[in-house]
Amino acid sequence: MKQQRLRFKLLALFLFGLFALLAVYGGYAITTYGNRWFAYTRNPRIRAQKENVIAGDVLDRSGVVLATTVDGTRIYQADESARRAVVHLLGDDQGQVSNGVETFQSNYLYGFQASLPELINSLFDGQPRRGDNVTLTIDSRLCTAIVKAFGAYSLTAGKNGAAVVMNYRTGETLGMVSLPTFDPMNITESTANDPGQPFWNRATQSVYPPGSSFKIITTDAALTSLPGIQDTEIACTGGLDVAGQAIRDYGNAVHNSLSLKRAFTVSCNNVYALLAIRMKDDALRRAAESFGFNDNFLFKDIVVENSVYPTTNRTSFELATSGFGQSAIVASPMHLCLVAAAIANDGVIMEPQLLRQVTSTSGALRTSFSPRVYRTATTAANAALIQDYMRSVVTSGTGTRAAVSGLTVCGKTGSAESSLNGRAITYGWFVGYIADDDLPFALAVVVEDIPDGEGGGSTAAPIAGDIFQYLKDNQTRVTQ
Amino acid sequence: MKRERPVRDLGRPLSRVVKLFFFTAFLLLFLRDFAWQGLLLAFTVPLMISLTTDWLPRLFPCDKLILSLTNFLCALGVLVLYDTNPSYAYHQAMYYGVGLGAMVICIYLVRLIRKWDGLVWLMIPASLILLALPLRIGQETYGARNWFYIGGLSVQPSEIVKLSLLIIIAHFMSRRQMLPWLGFSVCCLGLLMLQKDLGTALLYYGVTLLNYFASSGNLGMTALGLGGGAGAAVMGYKMFAHVKKRVAIWLNPFADYDNAGYQIVQSLMAIASGGMLGLGLGLGSPRTIPVYHTDFIFAVICEQFGLIFGLCVLLMYVALIWRGATTAMAARSGFHGLLAMGCTAMLGLQTFVIIGGVIKLIPLTGVTMPFVSYGGTSLVSSLCLIGLLQGVESLNEDNLEEDTRLALLGGDEE
Repeated sequence: MKQQRLRFKLLALFLFGLFALLAVYGGYAITTYGNRWFAYTRNPRIRAQKENVIAGDVLDRSGVVLATTVDGTRIYQADESARRAVVHLLGDDQGQVSNGVETFQSNYLYGFQASLPELINSLFDGQPRRGDNVTLTIDSRLCTAIVKAFGAYSLTAGKNGAAVVMNYRTGETLGMVSLPTFDPMNITESTANDPGQPFWNRATQSVYPPGSSFKIITTDAALTSLPGIQDTEIACTGGLDVAGQAIRDYGNAVHNSLSLKRAFTVSCNNVYALLAIRMKDDALRRAAESFGFNDNFLFKDIVVENSVYPTTNRTSFELATSGFGQSAIVASPMHLCLVAAAIANDGVIMEPQLLRQVTSTSGALRTSFSPRVYRTATTAANAALIQDYMRSVVTSGTGTRAAVSGLTVCGKTGSAESSLNGRAITYGWFVGYIADDDLPFALAVVVEDIPDGEGGGSTAAPIAGDIFQYLKDNQTRVTQ
Repeated sequence: MKRERPVRDLGRPLSRVVKLFFFTAFLLLFLRDFAWQGLLLAFTVPLMISLTTDWLPRLFPCDKLILSLTNFLCALGVLVLYDTNPSYAYHQAMYYGVGLGAMVICIYLVRLIRKWDGLVWLMIPASLILLALPLRIGQETYGARNWFYIGGLSVQPSEIVKLSLLIIIAHFMSRRQMLPWLGFSVCCLGLLMLQKDLGTALLYYGVTLLNYFASSGNLGMTALGLGGGAGAAVMGYKMFAHVKKRVAIWLNPFADYDNAGYQIVQSLMAIASGGMLGLGLGLGSPRTIPVYHTDFIFAVICEQFGLIFGLCVLLMYVALIWRGATTAMAARSGFHGLLAMGCTAMLGLQTFVIIGGVIKLIPLTGVTMPFVSYGGTSLVSSLCLIGLLQGVESLNEDNLEEDTRLALLGGDEE
């Protein structure tokens, strides 16, 4: 009997354990995913709240009103090109864009965060209740300038693509643009049926093969796992056969013998394929994962599609092409901006954020911006070397067209191939930053479906150059 | 005995708070549409709580804490149902009354029947026939064929057989007769599998295994049983398409949230919308959650009253388990101890399985949340479990009194 009593106690403890599991998991899930589950476009509770609460305003970092409510209608900026430029980050009243501020911040905009005294007050003052006002870290005029930069070049005008600009010291997101845009005040049947999928936020939701911009990570992995590699000469014979498949360099170039820095600068695929094979899959995957690949991004303000570095069933050919960001590696423009930011910020990635501050209509501060570290991607020593390499890409390599006089621009170009509906498509990339503490900005630019024979250096780099120039010209506004 | 006093005294103030809570809550809902039923419930629900928690203990010794908590949970079910769909609430309130009656009958059964030998041999074939009935005359819902209509009432036999299962396994396990209980449980499991009622099968299996461990302490055999169960689960996964689908939905409900994942996504959305403090009784959109009245009633509770309240509801079940285990430990006979532990384990496991499914901790299986979910058979059967538990508790109290009397007599002799 005594033994049995003890076992009853054990069973009770087991059942308590199950309930503890429920409580812990429930608490964890709500704190981690709560807003993602709540801020679903089709959550009927938000729709119901719209009947009773006037949505708050959305402003950019210098007070430009991006969205406001007048007589029960949601109004966006008067200038069409301005409201188109921010439409993806902001979202729209119909919820066509997933996870735009208009949807993702419903919690604030529709007054779900109101305190009890505020709720009681609103019962008595006879006025309809107003939601909180949300001020973003975004500079809306920068977004307009980015759209303009895409249109300024014959190679990129009319192309789809995306660009992200962030402050790599703080994580403030300054600009986020996805092309094609659409007009949130004039959504028609044809907008919805557009094959270019204008509702899709390519900056955060699309994942592309990173191509040569991934060499930043391959370089970091090589520096870590192949000590002294930066001081060795590596041979490029213009071609490489891996398990019966041929790897050719861009334009079948032959670089002969070259250093790691030179290989990075001229973006030599052969060398990077060799490096990947020499250091093995594990080292490359570990480096990619420390930069955030295969992580479940759970940024507080921004929903970003997860990036993938494939982990299973890798052939040696796939490994070799991984060295220059092909095989099945994919990442969003937002994430590649973070990769550039990691190098710029000496190895530490700040969490990208979108909210500068949120205030209630009576002026009470709900939340305000404070920088948060996302993760440490690499060592300061590795970052310093790669900073030097990225600088040389812009001064004497593939990225010269991103250069801006008077600015220390660093970066990496990329041209990635993938097939879409059975057709080979090339994406042009430029990721980079300004090495200047007064202008601590990193960016990523991607242009979809660039013409044959073109690369990131001739398509994305000029756009990046324009963006850097704009940041320099508007230094006081974008850094205040 | 002294140690138990303060806890016992909790019952009375607790039941007052509970009655006040429900009175005001139903009154609030009454003010919404001035339907007379709301006013009626505002008085009848506290009255039922009063009858059971204040008057029942006068008939025989009872655990007032268990009674208060059980009543709270039942009334919470009626309240949430009244808010979401009043016609469900009237049914539920009726079965709440019926269940309280059944609970009292169960208490008497445990108190009065001292010899279960003949009865259990009757119960075995009767239970198996009852459990097999849905296969012939049953209706299929959500992939499972586990209930039937009789005289306009829907009956879920597995809820009734649950009680006889507990009595049968407690009886034979306390006598160390393995074959009868093992044969019976295996037959039950087989029938439940045929009905594709895997949630209930999981409960039957879990409770049998836990009780076996408690009665024998044989770790090796328990591990073997656990392994067999895991094997069966893998087989179930491979054999039943709807099981496969449920696991896939569990892993990523958002992959297909307009179709397959819709239920669980709506549930998570509702819980997240409630936040810490809830949207408030009568507010929110609980009716957009599919099967909000049975499987997902916990999501409705979280939406309306908030996560903190949801955790408090979990704590109530924990308190029930604690009192149930205490009752089992104080039992004088092996049979009564195992019966009380079985009831406790059944309630605990069932609550874990459904709430775990609702918050996406484990794949969703369609079992009810004890006392709270809509469903006549389920509510009555859960209250019967409490009845069996209280029966054992009242015997314990009687025995204690007897002991005290004897001790006093002995004291006199000295």
